[in-house]
Amino acid sequence: MRLLLLIALTTGYLLAQPGDWTSYGQNPQGWRYSELNQINTQNVSRLAPEWIFQTGVAGRFQSVPLVFDQQMYITGPSNHAFALDALTGKQVWHYAKAVPKGVNGCCGQPNRGFAAEGDLLYKVNFEATIVAIDRRTGKTVWETVIEDYKKGYSATVAPLVANGKVIIGIAGAEFGTRGFIDAYDTKTGKRLWRFYTVPEKNEPNGDSWSGDSWQRGGGSTWITGTWDPKLNLTYWGTGNPGPDLNGDHRKGDNLYTCSMVALDLDTGKLKWHFQFTPHDLHDWDSMGDPVLLDLNVKGKPVKALVHADRNGFYYVLDRTSGQFISAKPYTKITWTDGIGPDGRPRLISGQEPSEAGNKSCPGMGGGHNWQATSYSPQTGLYYFNTTDGCHLYYKTDQDFIPGQWFQGSTIGGIPTEPLTGRLLAVDPATGNIKWQFETVSPPTAGVLATAGGLVFTGEKEGYFEAFDARTGKLLYRFQTGGVIGAPPIAYSLGGKQYIVVAAGSSVIAFSVR
Amino acid sequence: MQISDKLSSVNRLLAILIACSPCWAQNPLAKDPTAIEAGRGIFRIYCAPCHGLKADGGRGPDLTLGVFAAGETDQDLYRVIMNGVPGSEMPGYSENMGSDNSWRLVSYIRSLARREIVNTGNRTTGDTLFWGKGSCGGCHQVGNRGGTMGPDLTMAGRRRSAVYLRDSIVAVDKDLTPGFLTIIVETKEGRKITGVQRGFDTFSAQLVNNKGEYFSFYKEQVKSIKREARSLMPGTYSKLLTASEIDDLVAYMITLGGKQ
Repeated sequence: MRLLLLIALTTGYLLAQPGDWTSYGQNPQGWRYSELNQINTQNVSRLAPEWIFQTGVAGRFQSVPLVFDQQMYITGPSNHAFALDALTGKQVWHYAKAVPKGVNGCCGQPNRGFAAEGDLLYKVNFEATIVAIDRRTGKTVWETVIEDYKKGYSATVAPLVANGKVIIGIAGAEFGTRGFIDAYDTKTGKRLWRFYTVPEKNEPNGDSWSGDSWQRGGGSTWITGTWDPKLNLTYWGTGNPGPDLNGDHRKGDNLYTCSMVALDLDTGKLKWHFQFTPHDLHDWDSMGDPVLLDLNVKGKPVKALVHADRNGFYYVLDRTSGQFISAKPYTKITWTDGIGPDGRPRLISGQEPSEAGNKSCPGMGGGHNWQATSYSPQTGLYYFNTTDGCHLYYKTDQDFIPGQWFQGSTIGGIPTEPLTGRLLAVDPATGNIKWQFETVSPPTAGVLATAGGLVFTGEKEGYFEAFDARTGKLLYRFQTGGVIGAPPIAYSLGGKQYIVVAAGSSVIAFSVR
Repeated sequence: MQISDKLSSVNRLLAILIACSPCWAQNPLAKDPTAIEAGRGIFRIYCAPCHGLKADGGRGPDLTLGVFAAGETDQDLYRVIMNGVPGSEMPGYSENMGSDNSWRLVSYIRSLARREIVNTGNRTTGDTLFWGKGSCGGCHQVGNRGGTMGPDLTMAGRRRSAVYLRDSIVAVDKDLTPGFLTIIVETKEGRKITGVQRGFDTFSAQLVNNKGEYFSFYKEQVKSIKREARSLMPGTYSKLLTASEIDDLVAYMITLGGKQ
């Protein structure tokens, strides 16, 4: 019992049972893997909706639902959240808070989910606050302002609970903000530490920014990090430098944007960093999932961090030191002829944004963007999706106005080259592609792997799909009628397994009938 | 109605008007010196892909003319930015942009230099060409007249710039109207059906052929489904028509849907 309590206190999953889904990444390593196998390759063709909950909230759902103690907790766009009865899909409570007028965001007002500890649920609100909600009532227990939204900050990330702290990232790199990662006390909401992803001039690596450009340096942290309890480190990917497409006034590598940072969980101090795209000019955020795996690389055991970057490469790093191990292209890349032994890309000229527009690949969203990835210990494969294609990149000079758009220009599509997508299964040690499934549109949904030998995902056109995790064979599809912009999850209740995904503004629970 | 009721109605109306003053006022940021520059930054991100980097039009209308399809007041422009134009390719941006940024965009659009339209063609001749020698009406609708294979041109003059309309006659693949790519289906019996996309996803395709016939297939029902990023419109118009006839056609199309 003492051991159980220790585990519970360490992990924060006080109520977690084997069939629950309790955090954005499901385990600290961010595998997004379900041990449930009742729904499997043999019976998945009989999958059917068990219930559908219509939220009535406009905007695309990007949220990972949590399920424990017979209830589902799901956040929606524009400061909405719901508790549902996990058996029937009936609403238990609805949390709603008006978004103040004047909050700027680049891409709608999405929210990516709750974190939980005991009876408290944690979510960010779009106006850059973090709120703790009583899971029994839906009422606010505490709410803390993260930063002033009038400066261009907003919040969309699903928090991470680790060691009694709730850790969050921030959005706003399109508005001349300076990014950070914060830890708050789970009980009181008091801020415990802050790590700025852009150093001040006199701090280490402050010289990677010319002039005072660091003050508007960007480096958002809008996708949930992971953590290693043994190393006591938390890992977060960071976003683009600001202004996104014009680097003329921010000469230098622009650390720690487009990087992976490893922070001490107790203090928030930087343990190591690795920059994927120095002096990024294409908006290739590196905030995508940092997944922690113990790999065998060329015969040697490695405590690895794997990451599919928007710049088109799949990376393996040593998570104890940040040392570069390998990078492998997974989509068409024209901006570099490869990555050097130090992990630094060798640039090809003529690929940077210009007044007249230069074509470069991948497009602005990558490569692999933010959509949740999954690792299956059963198959040993890592699953993520990618957009394949190119954009025209434009730049222009732009004055900085606090709190306002500061992107330095735009992109254009190429009408005769529509962007397409693929779901990839790669060997995590090498990045070699084991199988792939092509889609006509760029991906919108995340991925879930289960012990049933299955991989689930969805598409912009509303299809919800299941694949054989080993071979990539499509075993099931269902037209949900709404854009699937969220990752699926799995849970078990009363001996029955469910797969859940948000489609459009509905939440759908599937089971085998 | 008693006089007191009438007065109270007037008062009520006044109260509504005062409470609702932003709904009908001019741009509240008109005197903000930063609004134009901020609006320019926003414009390049959200608007330039259709309206052009210099706002002089493309797939979307030329916004430098000082003449706008949806109305002439700042409030009209604001409403279109926030809510879009139903039934057109112009989406609403209320969620992405919010009120203040929409007003900044209005400030920027109002700041653009206004140009005269250079239009040497003859509208009446263009009308005749459209339905006659050019056979444009075989595939394109204007009002309730014409074919359904290509994009509906009823509002083309309001929604497209003159330069864009000319390009779409003489350089048909320079831009492709979203959703109007070419679909080629081969049935299991070996029959080939080529048409314009009405729907296309990973598992199915819907298309209309040059006879106006509609088809829908799941991929497993047929031998193959291919989508090609090209227009099915003939690329021969610069040979079929003289330069002045193309001017006439543009002059006709630019009037479709209202004034420009």
